[in-house]
This record gives sequence, structure tokens and C-alpha cells, in this order.
Amino acid sequence: MARWRLGGPALAAALVLATGQAVACDRPEGWTGGARIAGELWTSWWQSEPAAIPVGAHFSIRFHLCGPPVDRVKARGWMPDHRHGMNYRPTVTLNGSSGTAEGLMFHMPGRWQLILDVRGAVGREKLTAESVLE
Amino acid sequence: MTPWRSGASVAARLSGFAIVICVFSGIAAPAPALDFTAEEERRILRHGPWPPALQLDPSNRVSGNPAAIAFGRALFFEPRLSISGAISCATCHPPERAWTDGLPRSRGQQTVDRNAPSLFNLRFNRWFGWDGAQDSLWAQNLRPLLDRREMGVGPGGAARLVRTDRQLSCGYRRAFGEAPGADDARLFVDLGKALAAFLEAQVTGRTPFDDFRDALARGDAAGRARYPAAAKRGLRLFIGGGNCVFCHFGPAFTNGEFADAGVSHFIEPGRVDPGRYGGIRKLRQSPYTLLGRFNDDAGRSTAAKTRYVHLRQSNFGEFRVPGLRNVALTAPYMHAGSLETLADVAHHYSTLDEERLHAGGERILRRLDLSVREQADLVAFLETLTEKAPLHEFVEDTGNAVCRQPVQ
Repeated sequence: MARWRLGGPALAAALVLATGQAVACDRPEGWTGGARIAGELWTSWWQSEPAAIPVGAHFSIRFHLCGPPVDRVKARGWMPDHRHGMNYRPTVTLNGSSGTAEGLMFHMPGRWQLILDVRGAVGREKLTAESVLE
Repeated sequence: MTPWRSGASVAARLSGFAIVICVFSGIAAPAPALDFTAEEERRILRHGPWPPALQLDPSNRVSGNPAAIAFGRALFFEPRLSISGAISCATCHPPERAWTDGLPRSRGQQTVDRNAPSLFNLRFNRWFGWDGAQDSLWAQNLRPLLDRREMGVGPGGAARLVRTDRQLSCGYRRAFGEAPGADDARLFVDLGKALAAFLEAQVTGRTPFDDFRDALARGDAAGRARYPAAAKRGLRLFIGGGNCVFCHFGPAFTNGEFADAGVSHFIEPGRVDPGRYGGIRKLRQSPYTLLGRFNDDAGRSTAAKTRYVHLRQSNFGEFRVPGLRNVALTAPYMHAGSLETLADVAHHYSTLDEERLHAGGERILRRLDLSVREQADLVAFLETLTEKAPLHEFVEDTGNAVCRQPVQ
């Protein structure tokens, strides 16, 4: 089964790509892993189940958002090099600023983006993490 | 340490990052030495080991049951499951011809719109049928029994046959532990499940590629050297510039999903095969899915795909990506058998008409412009995915003898 490929130290480091100040956000209590996506409006911690996302198998994520109140979150996958997304539409369950997304599948190897599309009264922000799946 | 990098609203900002996988860089000339790079070896190793661990299908309570396998075998060769009494599953899927009929489009009661795929390795499929209209092997087995162009016996006819035929009734009782019941629909689905138990057993054997792959895994230089040079060059194309590996991924050489391979969607002038788009619509209307009452797994543990599958306009004209094991035995190729040989397949991708692909579609498929030698190399590699040993020994209808002994 394929595993997420470590792309070297530069790729392994979480990068704050937004130009503004990132929202501070500690790892949620009780989490032992996960990754952080820092945005201008929100910052998210997210963690997949299973932890190593395989090619061609369903997985889920849990996430926690720091920032202003959230109205809605959509989760999706995207292959920028191929210009296509997933063949499955995940279901997001939101409970305050935390939630889960179930039914994701990255169906081929290559560069994938996991995108959390967050909406609230203050605006909308796309939080993106990416990796190469082999 | 996470392998992820992250950002917010980053569509434009990510463009400066290095792309780790070369999506399409043209076909580089093969290196004179046929040693693979470490990255190539990693990709090759992901196409094994073979065979993988076999798991029972929790949606089918007779999965792996020897009595059900024997009963399914009897059903597979049973022509009375067709409205004419002359067509069995084996008519279009003769085991002695690698479970396919060699025709571009198969003939049951009538000529159908698609090619009869081989039945190897079905237990590893996620979706069934060229359009994925079925989400389980047992549901797939019901489709030809329902389609009047294929066998068409229907639930009532099939149930009546099994209830009234002594041997079939006995076979059912042995497989399911009870006499055939009065519920036509349930009995009909059980026939699909017995057929599934039989077809699950049809797993391909080891191939020259597997020997090479395993030699790589254990660092066996002599084992590596036995793999033909042309196949190595073809393998390098397959996992590299040919982009084949994006869809034909993993031990079964398929990602289990759907793609527009750039072949015609027209069944005949004015009539188009919608492919996956139609398949998802059929799936959602079917009573025979993993979300329905016939799933034997109360927890619906394998039903996520059905629950979350997403219908998109781009599904139009997509067809299931077939596995490639024993591919040299299963001509003709593509969903309507439009390509006669593996050489034709290599030529198709080499000269692909990109205008034919959907605008805004995937960037995976590009005209490869392979040289004649490169096309031959690709074919040489594909041929090594085929078993050297004789095919499964399926010469007689032993299944009908299942109940010649007294029932215990």
C-alpha cells in the first residue's frame, strides 16, 4: 500500500503562505499528531484516519479551526497537475469549530491538495495542504 | 514529522513550488544501462507483491464458502438462466479463452454495446462493469440475468429454475444452508452471491514481472537480470513518461476508477455510450447495492464508495480502468473492443487525438509520440504481466455434479 512520501526537509516543514498574520492555534488537546494549515482568517489543525493516507482507499479527517466563528466547512481533494479532484464527495460534520470529513479518496498517485473551504460571517478562506502520494 | 506543506488561499502562490512528480515531460530516450533509479524502483515495488492477501467479501455471506463456489460454478455454465435456454455466463466468458469471447462487442441474446471483459481478479475491483453501475461482484452477476440482450431470465425465471431443478435446488441448500425460499428477489440475489463466490476464486498466478519485482525487493541481481531488456525499457516508460501508472497503479495494475481513454463513445452513428455518467445514475436507481437490503453486512463496512460517489459531467465517456494482469490474453481492448492488439493500444496512446478528449479534462493523457521501438518495448512489458503457466484448468462443467452425492 502506498504511503505519503516525505519530500525532504523543505517539504516536510509547514509553511505559512499567507501574507498576513497567521491566526495562532495550538494543537488541540488530546491530539498526538496532525498538521497545521495557517491562514489569514483561520488556522486549522487536521489529522487523517488512517494517519498515512493510502492511494485508492477511503479515509477521513478530523479538524479543528482557530479564529472567528465558522458557518460551514467543505473538504475536497484536488490534483493541480491533472486538473481534477476526487470521484467522491465527502460529508462534513461540524460541531462548533471542530469537525470531521468522511468519504475522501485520493484515487491515483501524484501531487494532491487537501482543501478545507471555510466560511463564516467574516468571510471565506481556502486552507490548503499538499503532498505527493505514491 | 508531516510530509504536508500547507497554505491558505494559495492557488497562485503554490506555482513557485517544485513539482515532485513530473506530470509529463515527454519521453526521454531510454538510458543505455537498464538499471532503475531508486525512485523508479520504489514505483515498481508498489505493483506487488502478488498475489495479495485475499479477503472475504462481508457483503456476501457465502464468500469463500466451498459449497457456494461449487454451486456458483454450476450456475456459471447453466444456459437455462437465459430466456432462450441457450446462453450461459460462459458463452461470453469462456474460461478456456481467458474468460472473454475475443469479440469487440459480445453476443448474448443480441449483440451488446460493450466488450466482455475477462473475469480475472474481480475480487479486487471496487466497481463492476465498464461503467461501474454495480458496487459488488454479486450485484454485477445479476446484471446479465436482468438484461434481455444478454441472458435476461429475470428474478422470477431464475428463482423458479432453482426451486424446481433438483440439482440446483440441492446446490443452493448446500451453499446457503436452507432450501430455496419463496422470495424471488432474495433467491435471485443469492444466485449472484454464489456466482460471486465462484468468480472470486479466479485470481491470476505469478508472472515474469512478479519475479522481476520480487528480485528487486530482495536485491537479487541474478533475478533482475533474467527480466528481458525490452520489458525493462517498456516498464520505464510505463512508470515514467508514459503516465500509464497514474491509472494502472498497484498490484492489480488499476486504480479501480474511471477514465476517458480517448476512444470513441459512439456505439453507432447517433447513439452514444455515456459510460461512468450513466453508470452512477444506474447505481443510484438500483435495488442491488451495498446500501440496500441485500447486503449481508449490517455494518455496511464496504459501502463508503457507494455512499460518497459523486456524479459529475466529466464522468461522461469515462470507463473503468481495467487491471492489466494477463492482458496479453484478453484482446480486443477498450470498452467496445475497438483496439485489436496490444500494439494497437500502444499506438493509440502514442498518437492520441487530444482534441477528442473533453475540454478541461485531465492532463494525464497526452499524445506520447513513441518511436516504433518504444511502442514495442511497452508491449514487451505488458506481455510480462501475463502468466507463463497454462491458464486455469477449467475444462469441464464439474459444478453440476455438486449434488450427485446424497445431501447430508
